[in-house]
Amino acid sequence: MKRTILIVDDHPSFRRFARRVLEADGFVVVGEASDGASAVAACRRWRPQLVLLDILLPDMDGFAVADTLADEPQRPVVILTSSREASDYAKRLERTSARGFLAKAELSGAALAALVDRR
Amino acid sequence: MRGGQLRLTVALLAGTLGLAALGLVATHGEEPGFLLPIPVELAVGWSFVGAGLVGWARRPDNPTGLLMTLTGLVWFGRQLEWLDTPLASHLSHVSVNLFLALVAHQLVVFPNGAARTRVERMLVVATYAVALGGYALSKLFYDPTAEGCAGCPHNLLLLFPNSGLNAIANLVPSAVGIVLVVVILARLVRRWWTASPPARRVLAPVAWTGPASLVLVAVTIGLYAVGVSATLDRVLQWSTLVYTAIPLAFLAGLLRMRLHRGALGGLVVELSDAATATDVRGALARTLGDPSLEVAFWLPEREGYIDLEGHPFGLPSGGDRAVTVLEDGQQRLAALVYDRSLLDDSELVRAAGAAARMALENARLQAELRAQLEEVRASRARIVEAGDAERRRLERDLHDGAQQRLLGIRLALRLARGELEKGGRAVDELLTEAESELAQTLDELRALARGIHPAVLTEEGLGPAVETLARRASVPVQIDRLPVDRLPSAVEAAAYFVTAEALANVAKHARASGVRISMRHADGSLFIDISDDGIGGADSAGSGLIGLRDRVEALNGRLRVEGSPGRGTRLRAEIPCRTGPDARAVDGA
Repeated sequence: MKRTILIVDDHPSFRRFARRVLEADGFVVVGEASDGASAVAACRRWRPQLVLLDILLPDMDGFAVADTLADEPQRPVVILTSSREASDYAKRLERTSARGFLAKAELSGAALAALVDRR
Repeated sequence: MRGGQLRLTVALLAGTLGLAALGLVATHGEEPGFLLPIPVELAVGWSFVGAGLVGWARRPDNPTGLLMTLTGLVWFGRQLEWLDTPLASHLSHVSVNLFLALVAHQLVVFPNGAARTRVERMLVVATYAVALGGYALSKLFYDPTAEGCAGCPHNLLLLFPNSGLNAIANLVPSAVGIVLVVVILARLVRRWWTASPPARRVLAPVAWTGPASLVLVAVTIGLYAVGVSATLDRVLQWSTLVYTAIPLAFLAGLLRMRLHRGALGGLVVELSDAATATDVRGALARTLGDPSLEVAFWLPEREGYIDLEGHPFGLPSGGDRAVTVLEDGQQRLAALVYDRSLLDDSELVRAAGAAARMALENARLQAELRAQLEEVRASRARIVEAGDAERRRLERDLHDGAQQRLLGIRLALRLARGELEKGGRAVDELLTEAESELAQTLDELRALARGIHPAVLTEEGLGPAVETLARRASVPVQIDRLPVDRLPSAVEAAAYFVTAEALANVAKHARASGVRISMRHADGSLFIDISDDGIGGADSAGSGLIGLRDRVEALNGRLRVEGSPGRGTRLRAEIPCRTGPDARAVDGA
């Protein structure tokens, strides 16, 4: 069965390409959100299994959104992403409630699946 | 007649009056019952005249001395009693009442010598009304014969004899008089209580002597009311000598306002050791007897005052504080801010200020230096902070703009490769999209680079760069004048960013319909003048403008923003164009 995913990023061009890449690799993109608040709302509505969550959002940062989603009943698996590198967020990534981090430059269905299935 | 001659005449008159009284006692053997022992009479009269003349001579501007002299002369009016006629007797008694009224008058208006408030004027008028009107009233129904004083002079003011009315007519003025005395005393105590240290110094002698004398009067009246023996009567008569302390107290207070003039010499000595502005302030405060004295220095380039620490200082207006501005020729130097009570001797303040001028000039330079140092420190911190903020902004702009698009392109190309492998038809669409993203990326990068340092400024100079800014501005810009020749790059950069920020501010805040720009290179400086017809009221402390001012001042230039609400905003800057190490240091910043 295909995995459902929500893409959260404030840049439309990135969302567009990410959707194409993930759909080409067999994911079902159930929705897109451009900020933290609408990401939480979209999760409640579409109940995705996965959330690809940009860290730098206009209203709140991705870490805070991940914590909020971790308290939701459906508890989606959250993968953080950024155009910055993992080392830029090293400390916070150690403590986050998200499953993992994937640099935007590395985005592919296989890389995402590998992170999700890591444990 | 000059003041000196007049005073000499008065002194001679008082002396003559006293000697005449002495002669009368010597020839008659004993003074009339109404009069006090002759030494007391002379001491009280002469003390008032003497102290009054000294006060008058030393403080001709202050009516207190004149009032005291007059009081002493009036006192000698008592000697009319010798003439033993009805009119002389009345005048003799009136002079006593007038004497008391004059003393009360001085207590009310001390140390100014003149009534300054409505209450003071009312009290003074009431004092004379009670003293003179009260005397007249007390005589209207008084028949000496009927009251058991057959040998007394005939009463010229008698309307008709009536013992009952006479008692009332005597009681009413006395009661009102007592109330007046209490009010005047209460005011004196309150003034003492609320006075500042320098004011207290002046008030002190009067504040102690006045009430003491009045208590003595009260005790005397009390004792006479219960009846006194002949011996006690004599003691009480002699105790009147204490009244001589009153003029001395007035004089002491009056002179204390001036006494510290003598301290000016000490001030000069102290100032020669004064190393800092704080020392100078301390020396002035001690000389003027005002611990609260403040010194503020005039800073011409800021057109404002600074305090000893170099912080901006606003001069007080009104209230308890008075201000004396010290000038050196046409140039303002400093301001002394002190307790208003010292204003009675503002000459002393000015003299002390003049004595301290050299020290103040030095201290002002110190304070100016400190203010400049503080400003340099603050601007250095702001420049570092502005640099950091600029870097953060650049990172964010790159992150949000070019980087995102390049990531998208990479993903698009990866997809295109996948499509190619599958032999799909979507390749064309993906490549078109990637190309459009690339074009936008290039545009964004160019705009970003222009914000960091515009290429047109480097390549073509200030004039063409400002023309480019004007073309891109959201408000119509009229350019009156631009420099043709190239200027040092730091000057060009500063002028460019001043213009860019000014235009950005106009677009954001001014609601203007047009902007005029004029830049003139003359006398080794670049003069910038940018004005709009908007709503005005720009805040020159706004962060953007402070950053610009730092940039301009780093080149030893000046930047000013003028504009009141409704009259548009005008920004003017002057930047020296000499190419020195200073200019080079900021080059490339």
